[in-house]
Amino acid sequence: MPSVTLLGQSVLSGVFIGALYGLLGLGLSLSWGMLRQVNLAHFALAFLGGYLTFQLSGRVDPFVALALTVPLFFLLGIALHWFLSRYAPGMLNTLLVTFGLTYIIEAGIQRVWTADFMRMESHYTDIRWKIGAFYIPFTELVTLLLAMLLCGAMWALIRFTDFGRAARAMTEDAAMAAAFGVNEKRLGYVISGLAAAFAAVAGVCLALTHTLAPVQIYAWMGVVFAAVMIGGLGSAVGPLLAGFLIGISEAVTMAVTAPTWAPLVSFSLLIAIILFRPARF
Amino acid sequence: MHISGPPVLEARELRVSYGAAPAIDGVNLVVNPGSLVVVVGPNGAGKTTLINAISGVHPLQSGKLSMDGTSLATLAPHRYCDHGIALVPEGRRLFTGLTVRENLELGAYRAAARKGRAQSLREMCTLFPALEAKLDAPAGTLSGGQQQMVAIARALMAQPKLLLLDEPSLGLAPAIVLELFRIIREVNARGVAVLLVEQNVVAALEIAHRAYVLEEGRIVAEGEPRELMSQPHIQKAYLGH
Amino acid sequence: MRAAAGFIGFAAAMALVPFLGLPAFYETFLYLLLHAVVLATSWNILSGYSGYFSFGHGAFFGTGVYTTAALVAQYNWHFLATLPLAAAGAALLGLVLGAVAFRVRAARGDLFALLTLAITFVLATIMLNKVDGGPGIQVMTDIPKIAPTAAGALYLLVLFMAVGTVWIAHAVFYSRFGTGLFAIHDDEDVAEVLGVPTYRFKLAAFCLSCALAGLAGGIHAVFVSYVTVAETFSIALAVNVVLMAALGGTRHWLGPAIGAVAITSLLYAFTAGQAPVLGRAVVGAILIAVIVLMPMGILGMVLKRFPRRPAPRPRSRTQPEPVRAPSPGSEPILVARNVSKAFKGVQALSETSIEVRRGEILGLVGPNGSGKSTFINVVSGHYPADSGSLVFEGEELVGRPAHRIARAGIARTYQIPRPFNHLTVLQNVALPPMFGQVVMPRAAAEGEAWRWLEFTHLADKAHRYPAELNLHQRKFLELARALASRPKLLFLDEVLSGLTPGEMDEAIRLVRAIREQGATIVFVEHVMRAVMELTDRVVVLTYGKAIAAGAPRDVMRDPQVVDAYLGTARA
Repeated sequence: MPSVTLLGQSVLSGVFIGALYGLLGLGLSLSWGMLRQVNLAHFALAFLGGYLTFQLSGRVDPFVALALTVPLFFLLGIALHWFLSRYAPGMLNTLLVTFGLTYIIEAGIQRVWTADFMRMESHYTDIRWKIGAFYIPFTELVTLLLAMLLCGAMWALIRFTDFGRAARAMTEDAAMAAAFGVNEKRLGYVISGLAAAFAAVAGVCLALTHTLAPVQIYAWMGVVFAAVMIGGLGSAVGPLLAGFLIGISEAVTMAVTAPTWAPLVSFSLLIAIILFRPARF
Repeated sequence: MHISGPPVLEARELRVSYGAAPAIDGVNLVVNPGSLVVVVGPNGAGKTTLINAISGVHPLQSGKLSMDGTSLATLAPHRYCDHGIALVPEGRRLFTGLTVRENLELGAYRAAARKGRAQSLREMCTLFPALEAKLDAPAGTLSGGQQQMVAIARALMAQPKLLLLDEPSLGLAPAIVLELFRIIREVNARGVAVLLVEQNVVAALEIAHRAYVLEEGRIVAEGEPRELMSQPHIQKAYLGH
Repeated sequence: MRAAAGFIGFAAAMALVPFLGLPAFYETFLYLLLHAVVLATSWNILSGYSGYFSFGHGAFFGTGVYTTAALVAQYNWHFLATLPLAAAGAALLGLVLGAVAFRVRAARGDLFALLTLAITFVLATIMLNKVDGGPGIQVMTDIPKIAPTAAGALYLLVLFMAVGTVWIAHAVFYSRFGTGLFAIHDDEDVAEVLGVPTYRFKLAAFCLSCALAGLAGGIHAVFVSYVTVAETFSIALAVNVVLMAALGGTRHWLGPAIGAVAITSLLYAFTAGQAPVLGRAVVGAILIAVIVLMPMGILGMVLKRFPRRPAPRPRSRTQPEPVRAPSPGSEPILVARNVSKAFKGVQALSETSIEVRRGEILGLVGPNGSGKSTFINVVSGHYPADSGSLVFEGEELVGRPAHRIARAGIARTYQIPRPFNHLTVLQNVALPPMFGQVVMPRAAAEGEAWRWLEFTHLADKAHRYPAELNLHQRKFLELARALASRPKLLFLDEVLSGLTPGEMDEAIRLVRAIREQGATIVFVEHVMRAVMELTDRVVVLTYGKAIAAGAPRDVMRDPQVVDAYLGTARA
């Protein structure tokens, strides 16, 4: 049995990794839940955002780079929505097309930045605090705060504003929403743009906290899918909470048994959710 | 209560089809300001299609459709409500995941209605006292009668000039139907023109100023409700004799 | 027979390759090609035919790989002896997964895809920790000396396996089983109501698909001779398989094989050349282009452009001979007692009791929402009844699955036609006789279908697809499909609504003619003229209760009925 300190540190790192799951899941959840588009390319986009930040890191602060990547990705999201809604309607079609897009982005990344693992060096990397027996790296903390901020803000937007009400109404019955004046097309573009912009933010956090390699794109897919489905499609905060749950249980599993057992937790949860709580979908 | 003047809604030679089959085949229909017009007819006559076409939910194939003289035919569906049309659809179609309050607020989504939203919400609570206690409940948890009230309130929140109601009595117990018709009448008395599609012919004709009989996508009779009731059209269409 | 000769001829010709003394490269390349053919074709038997997209083919393939690898490396089995277990292990996994997943209505479509994807990760984790241990497994074994070289022998194995798999896919495609799967693809609920045992069929297709993937995995373990979890249980494998099938065409037995050859060759050309990175991008672009430009795949497109000449209409233009035309008696064929059904608090049927007598046309009428369609849905098994009993010819129907109700001799039409959109008109109508009271082989079923197409004046449209029909023809297609199973009891749900007066007269003649065939008919209709003309008796429903029954003219003058229809001023 591991020590209390080790367990505590595990829980902490589970929270940190869970924040990244939630941040990656946020955009996926929006486009899936509200637009019925399962955007697999979301992961490749996030990595693209990470690599762009990495590329600029010599000259531009990673957080300042967001001023470039966020608007750029917002436009990419709009373009993607245009393409998918026009040429590949239906959930399976979006799944396959965005998988193809993933391949293309992955190849592009590999061509520019090679297939090697890259680690972004910035002055943030070395900042870490020790509180009691626990280490808290600055980059992880920022990821956590950003995830909480964005998921919380998006949640409030969906919950309390006209935009959010319109989006939820459209998700449920697009024709009726239109009858009351909701412009379905424009709303779709905005949501898809937002989802891609969140990928840009997740990309910066990825670059700050993880090594980057094109093949890593696939490593995140399964577990983030699990977080989105457990948290609820179309929910903004759900994936984050589910991300914490998965992150912590993975980290504790690693501490108690072996790191290689970690994936079992999230995917068993996902399977159980699909089979035994179908009502929520 | 019957205000004269140019018509609120005017439909000329309206044609709507599902695939190749015409569902509405050359309908002419006029709703005057402040009047209450009903369209009756057996099931499958095209009543719902007619209402959906007028509210922009189903695209027109041909014909003229105008509100206060402005043509609607080329507008995108979400622009219809800007011209003062609000729909209470068949089967209510509430946003069941939203609360009652949110449903009502969404009713006032169009810019012109958004300003007076708080005021309208208060008015709805006076018109439908039962709703006040349910404002923060998810709309899907309400009973059928309450849901129908929410659907009407949602449409009224848009401050419409013309309220379209599609079979509002469907599936409701007789006592609630009575209450429903009282409310429709009251709304109309406040100056909102009403176009009502109903299968409860007797109750509908009793409150109507003018009635149309729709059969197989065509208007087969129109006129004063009392006159129509005695004509063989209705008896034949509904009862086969 | 011609098909069998084709398969055997192909296998024999390709079996010569190892004996030609070609460089080993060819055997390896052809091995990979045929390996991909097996995986794509086996995937297609479930996912292409029935529409249940699996992203977990890697899991079933991997089960086979690791079964063989573990038994050979750790227990010194001969590798041929491990192959049956590799297949059985994968099939068992599919059986367990399917037995749970296919019962859950919500696990259709994308959720099934995700479920199978998740299984891949779970299995990979378990294999990594329990079987593999981390570094991978070295698979050293004797390869049977059926060819000059070991590579040649493995090539022969996978060749036989590929031919066998495509043969199976071909056989399933043309069988009753395959017809059922394609019906499930288009509309699972309707398939069940027409007599297709959907649950069993899906499960069988899943097991077959998994077993073949597992077998391919067993052979592949020896081919690669060193297996790792990361290489075996990859999403890339699952997605490549989907891509191959989609590219070739999922609606044809040969489609996945064509796609597999195309993609494998492409990938090989790029990755073996100077631009492996470009290769992935090209595959991605092809995937997008296929979905956007050729949603039916290469083969689908070719077949559309050069359609095979359809089988001609049989010469004999016999109308269905009257079986017997019993005069309506008083013997009940269906007795419904106190049947209730509620949806989300709305009581659609409340303690309804209705009796249908043998040989009659019973009109079931009532205002909108009075429970008429619900009654049909409950009798046909589309929805289970909440309570009450339904006795058909002395047998209780409540609790039976819909396909067994269909087999007992009950058929129905849908108010809004629900044809199988990817099947031709003829195939649509030929389906029920293959799953009816007497199970007919395909040829006989098509003969039967022709009769009913003649009967409903649709014979000219036999090789068209339902989307090409107008509403009136689609309604008649519903009718022909319901009649083709020669039901004893037929429910007609608003077959006349939306028809023009002329079409309506034709439909009324048709309904009369159906009764002459000996069927009992329950006729739900709003067009009162037709009800008056056609029915022997009517039952009036309102608020989910039967309030009156008797001769049409008497019942429709009953004040209670008049009220139900026209409403009352003082409710």
